[in-house]
Amino acid sequence: MRTFASRRWAGLTVVLLASALLIVGNQLLWLSFQRPVYISGWLLLAMVVFLAAFNLRKKMPFLPIGSASTWLQVHIYVGLLSIVVFGLHLELRVPNGLFEVCLACCFAIVALSGILGLILSRVLAARLAAREGEILWDRIPRMRGLISRDTERLALDCLAETESAAVVDYYMRRLRSYFAGPRYFWPHLMNSSRPLRKLLSEIEAHKRYLNDAEKEFMIRIAERVKVKDDLDYHYSLQAVLKYWLFLHVPLTYALIMFSVVHVMLIHAF
Amino acid sequence: MSSSSKITETIRLKPIDVPLGEIDSTSVDKLIGLDAFSGLDPEFRKSKTFRKILEKDTRLVTYQDGDLILRRGDWGNSAFFVVLGTVHVEIEAEGVFPHALLGRREVKRKNLFQAIAQWWSNCRVPEYRDVATYGPGSGTRQRYSGDNTRIYLQDVPAILDRYRTISLGEGELFGELAALGRTRRTATVFAQGSVQLLEMRWQGLRDLMRRDTGFRKQIDESFRSNALRAFLASCPVFSHLAEDQESLSEVIKGAKLDTYGEYDKVGTFRELAEEGTRTNLANEPIIAAEGDYPNGIVMIRNGLARVSRRHHNGHMTVCYLCPGQVFGYDEIAEGHATNEPVPLKHSLRAIGFISLVTIPTPLVEKHFVENQPSKSAARQNARTSTQGPMLQSHHITEDFLEFLIQERVVNGTQTMLIDLDRCTRCDDCVKACATAHDNDPRFVRQGPIHQQVMVANACMHCQDPVCMIECPTGAISRHEKEGVVQINDRTCIGCSTCSKNCPYEAIRMVEIREQDGSLIRDSTTKLPIIKATKCDLCVDQLGGPACQRACPHDALVRMDMSEIDELADWQNR
Repeated sequence: MRTFASRRWAGLTVVLLASALLIVGNQLLWLSFQRPVYISGWLLLAMVVFLAAFNLRKKMPFLPIGSASTWLQVHIYVGLLSIVVFGLHLELRVPNGLFEVCLACCFAIVALSGILGLILSRVLAARLAAREGEILWDRIPRMRGLISRDTERLALDCLAETESAAVVDYYMRRLRSYFAGPRYFWPHLMNSSRPLRKLLSEIEAHKRYLNDAEKEFMIRIAERVKVKDDLDYHYSLQAVLKYWLFLHVPLTYALIMFSVVHVMLIHAF
Repeated sequence: MSSSSKITETIRLKPIDVPLGEIDSTSVDKLIGLDAFSGLDPEFRKSKTFRKILEKDTRLVTYQDGDLILRRGDWGNSAFFVVLGTVHVEIEAEGVFPHALLGRREVKRKNLFQAIAQWWSNCRVPEYRDVATYGPGSGTRQRYSGDNTRIYLQDVPAILDRYRTISLGEGELFGELAALGRTRRTATVFAQGSVQLLEMRWQGLRDLMRRDTGFRKQIDESFRSNALRAFLASCPVFSHLAEDQESLSEVIKGAKLDTYGEYDKVGTFRELAEEGTRTNLANEPIIAAEGDYPNGIVMIRNGLARVSRRHHNGHMTVCYLCPGQVFGYDEIAEGHATNEPVPLKHSLRAIGFISLVTIPTPLVEKHFVENQPSKSAARQNARTSTQGPMLQSHHITEDFLEFLIQERVVNGTQTMLIDLDRCTRCDDCVKACATAHDNDPRFVRQGPIHQQVMVANACMHCQDPVCMIECPTGAISRHEKEGVVQINDRTCIGCSTCSKNCPYEAIRMVEIREQDGSLIRDSTTKLPIIKATKCDLCVDQLGGPACQRACPHDALVRMDMSEIDELADWQNR
């Protein structure tokens, strides 16, 4: 079985060689007084259509048209090569005209979001694996609801048992909103545990106002705070892993539409 | 003490504590006099032990004309003595009964149009079934007999005309080798006319073998003449003897059959996993101990074995052996070369139930070590089959190996492994599975995790598929060519036996529905109809398992756990 490193090197080598060939070919066409911009334009459109076809492949898992992993590898390296072709097509100049600027920006955003998505896929997946436990995305809201109700019940039990409102007051004031929905999206994304440490430190500080029985309840509530933090961590990272495609894929279709109009305009005028 | 705090204690029943059937004393007297037991030692036949075996481990079963008693490819744990009537056994060499005739699912791969049509034709309602298509299959039907549902052949005379069979009459025994070795049934047996059989579960057979030399000899001979030759011929170690029938016969004559481990321990894999390695090792019977001199090479016939060596105050697992693999060859070869007996360098333990064949040292030396022309080939074959000593070079970490054995996932031939370091949790695998199965996914992306590897709760298509034991209609079966364990939805009666037997939680019982989402109910009891569902490796799809092909990040793989090289390569990508 080929290692990921060797596959990566092979892919990059092919892209570099293909890029060199394209650049040389482009220069030769220039030297022979031809306009390579038409060729690079059509090549770029073909590449973009091919890159968009990956999404169709994902929707047809039942067809024997190659594995999605092979498609993704080709998608990545053709995508990288398309950036070179895009540069050649622009002749390394800033496009003029509003439509061309929009078209170029669209391509740039699609390309950058693709690269960013790839990096996120590799980095965030490994970070999720490093965290204890595996949580299914679809089950996160239900689990959050369960933890929230469980913690609220604990706070109310504490009130009933100790006849003191210290824990339930703190819960209502500080923790109810924490358990109500996903929290600390950006800190989780940046792998920062600062908000959790701050909350646990607050809980620890609040313990000085509690008697032994209340402290027991508070310890159990603190455990649920940690569980909720794990849930939020999974929510934040899995949300990014899912939603970056909502930028990349629709913009690709927009790019194809813009490109078709661009071709029509070029050939019409 | 208040009544609420009163603790009632009882003894937890084991399967062996529950009698197979209810046989009264008069029936037992009649059974003792059966022709089937005429070969037993007369003293033993009169003994209380024999009476107890009959009371506890047997039951009388009546079959009607055409009832299928055993199906080729099924896994079973009991054998049958013919009490009254005649049964027929198919002869493989003359062409076997087609799958449809046995009430099994026929694998029909979709064509390109049917594959594309899934895009729009998949039903939005979960677990939709078109029960109008549940009519009788070709040649078989179901009927109820007491608490059981049986599959029967509709036209026995036509079957007898078309296929060659041999008949077994009163007093004859069948199904004993598969029951004792927990291997697949090799032939289909059906009733001609009304037949009464004495079903004896494997514990009874084992006790009979232990207590009656004649019976043991009979089983032994039957094993050598029927199963052993086929088993040895299929093992790579013996490939060089395939042409030399005389030598193979000598090996067969000298071979010894053994079983280790608890037959009924299959349902407790999860408990074993929780007990930890040290306890597991203590519970696993030793087949061959490190430091002992080898009596011969041990070949795994069915089940799994752990190879370990002493390490400080414990034992380190070196590898596991699967069916067809060999233990102890290197020590015998080394001993033969140096003229000094070499003790075993590793211990061999049974993981769960295992049946194995031991070839004595003199035969190994004669046919593998001394046999000059085939020496290198034999050694190579033996080495290839003995994965143990080579494990260090595979770079599989010790803890990962321990995890695989503890969770018993080494049993899988298509285990679903997910590399969580690469899995983006996109669920494309689950979506692809759903698309390939009428929008009903057949696995859950959850399961035990070790480091970054998850073993998902998907059917592993085990080497030893315990789910197939006791299926009353044979609806769950293994495809002989593809090796896929699959369920025939038409003949599944929703009894949950397979689901309860599966230690990996890979079989789900579902309530089936109409196209409008309403539950389909039994016309008599009005209870919802339940069916067993599981991964079928997309056997009817073009291109194989959709889950693996749909994973864009190379995170998911279906792995044959006996291919340790592939596993190591995958882990060290």
